[in-house]
Amino acid sequence: MITTSNLSKKYNESTVLNIENLEIPKGQSFGLVGNNGAGKTTYFSLLLDLIQPTTGHIENNGVMVHESENWKPFTSSFIDESFLIGYLTAEEYFYFIGELRGQKASDVDALLSQFEDFFHGEILDQKKYLRDLSKGNQKKAGIVAALIGEPEVIILDEPFANLDPTTQIRLKGIVKDLAEKKGVTVLISSHDLLHVTDVCERIVVLEKGEVIKDLKTSEATLKELEAHFSKVAEV
Amino acid sequence: MFKRFISLEWKQFRRASYFQKGMAIKILLFLAVLYFGGAALMLGVGLFFIIKKAIPTVDPIQVVNNFLIYWFLFDLLIRYFMQQLPVMNVKPLMTIPVKRSTVIHYLLGKTSVSFFNFLPLFVFVPFSIVLLTQGYPVINVFCWFIAMVSMTFANNFINFLINKNNVAFYVILAILVTFVGLEYYGVFKASEPIGSAFNYLYNHSYLAILPILMATGLYYVNFNFIKKGFYLDDAVSKKVKEVNATDLSWMNRFGAVAPFIKNDVKLIWRNVRPRQVMFMSFIFLFYGLMFYTQETYKNMPAFLAFASMFVTGGFLMTFGQLVPSWDSEYYKMLMSQNIPYKTYLQSKWYLMVFAVVISFILSTPYIYFGWDIFGMIAAGALFNIGLNSFITLYGGVLNRVPVELNVKAKAFSNTNGFNPTQLLIALPKFLLPMLLFYVPYKLINFQAGIVALALSGVLGIVFRNVVFKKIEAVYQKGKYKTIAAFSEKK
Repeated sequence: MITTSNLSKKYNESTVLNIENLEIPKGQSFGLVGNNGAGKTTYFSLLLDLIQPTTGHIENNGVMVHESENWKPFTSSFIDESFLIGYLTAEEYFYFIGELRGQKASDVDALLSQFEDFFHGEILDQKKYLRDLSKGNQKKAGIVAALIGEPEVIILDEPFANLDPTTQIRLKGIVKDLAEKKGVTVLISSHDLLHVTDVCERIVVLEKGEVIKDLKTSEATLKELEAHFSKVAEV
Repeated sequence: MFKRFISLEWKQFRRASYFQKGMAIKILLFLAVLYFGGAALMLGVGLFFIIKKAIPTVDPIQVVNNFLIYWFLFDLLIRYFMQQLPVMNVKPLMTIPVKRSTVIHYLLGKTSVSFFNFLPLFVFVPFSIVLLTQGYPVINVFCWFIAMVSMTFANNFINFLINKNNVAFYVILAILVTFVGLEYYGVFKASEPIGSAFNYLYNHSYLAILPILMATGLYYVNFNFIKKGFYLDDAVSKKVKEVNATDLSWMNRFGAVAPFIKNDVKLIWRNVRPRQVMFMSFIFLFYGLMFYTQETYKNMPAFLAFASMFVTGGFLMTFGQLVPSWDSEYYKMLMSQNIPYKTYLQSKWYLMVFAVVISFILSTPYIYFGWDIFGMIAAGALFNIGLNSFITLYGGVLNRVPVELNVKAKAFSNTNGFNPTQLLIALPKFLLPMLLFYVPYKLINFQAGIVALALSGVLGIVFRNVVFKKIEAVYQKGKYKTIAAFSEKK
């Protein structure tokens, strides 16, 4: 589904990302972990054509991301709060995204009704603008908006941060469901090793822009990751 | 403690990003301040003589007193839209041992050091001096002057209060409109009783104590108001406004651009900064009055063409020049969502066209100045729709300054969304209509000038698809730079 070849991103002389080859098959739940500055967000930004690669390219379902806009109809994402329109209510925002993705209001309503317990009564019918919601609730709205319009690829940057424990658990259920039952390719980055190992079939560790581990998730994965990051801490 | 606050402010000022902007802007701002200050100064000096000449039978000070009320109401209105209140960064101060009242006194004191409090001084000081040189009694003039300054400060503090309260604002607005209307149609001249009150005040100097008391009183009302709200969940944290959702689904008939237009309407309606722009563009409607009423411009029709373009182009220019910037807060989302650039640009175009049409309808009273003038306004409107709109959109590419939607633009200290390129792109907007009109006017006649101006707009409308393609390409090219600039922290 997503093929990355010879991708690198440099700012001045410092290389922030350098991935020789990375293949993410369709329907995989893919986790990206790494410390601050490892290049996770840079990679996602490149995937969304928000920054230009210095070398190489990413192909999303056969579309060259930095050359054509045709990846947009089947890709959706939530990177940070700047993906929200602060002066809309959550409903207005969902309908807006729905309209962009060619969904009728009733389609959006049907989708939203599946997330009632995820929203926990704090998103819909609030008579509040998105900018006035708490960080966690903003995140919930952004994540659900990324699910509108049956995308084939969903990119979520740090989806677990700022969420309360109950919502974290519910989100894990949602993500698993998407990949396993609906064949959606889900890309997630996280600092939380436990969540990532719970959710993702495959975990890639980035360090200083390079892929240093590529693991198929198993019982031992969490231990291995913890060992790896504590080793980094000792060095 | 005050000294330390001031040093903090100074650092904030010095290290703010807008201070690091180019020299050119600073010079321009300086010139703007000079211009307004100078204009006020001229008014202050000249006012006495102008009135004396216009109404020789009445004492000028009486005339001034009669109109003071409108001056202060207008002052208040301008303040409401333009004056940025210093919601000082109190959060970090709340947990450290500084007396609350110290912070509040400082905060209120800071509002006093505002351009809007100094501008009236530029009028009142020279006016008072002129009065003295004309032999008016010193005590009376001095006390009157003190009263005026107190009133100005009272306005300053009223503004603080009404900014926290929409109802107060609409009440003030309604009063202003009603009184101006009543006065205009001669039903009830509200300026008379209030005017005679001011006259009474002038003649009985000791009464100057009343405005002083009023200003002081309002200061303490504000003080208590802030003190009561000096908790995170009150005045200090931003106010959470209740949503007023309106059904805009009738706009769906606009097809592909409908979602964007609906969004833009909400953008304008729900955010401080665009509302401010809206208000400004309304003022543009009256721009023609400055030109059409003056004999001097009758023989300079190129200037009339310029003014006619301005009458309908207010929104187009003030809103349009910040086109991608309005969406800067969520630009990354727009760029990764399923949106063709062209649709995005088209929606902005439709919005501007809509605004021009509305302004044109509102400008019909200009028929009073004759059909020539109105024809010019109509031609100017066509020029705005067909040509000016595209120039404005094109200029938007070069503008990569993020805009904070819900923060008022400060007068003369905020260059948010303003840069020299903007100015450069503004030049053709001003010069083109003059040129388009003037050349055929000189060669053939007045009507030919109007036709040429109108025709330029029609051409733009006919070839709009070609133009959109071109503009889209320019936007695409600048995409990464724009994204990077918009995501820069302010």
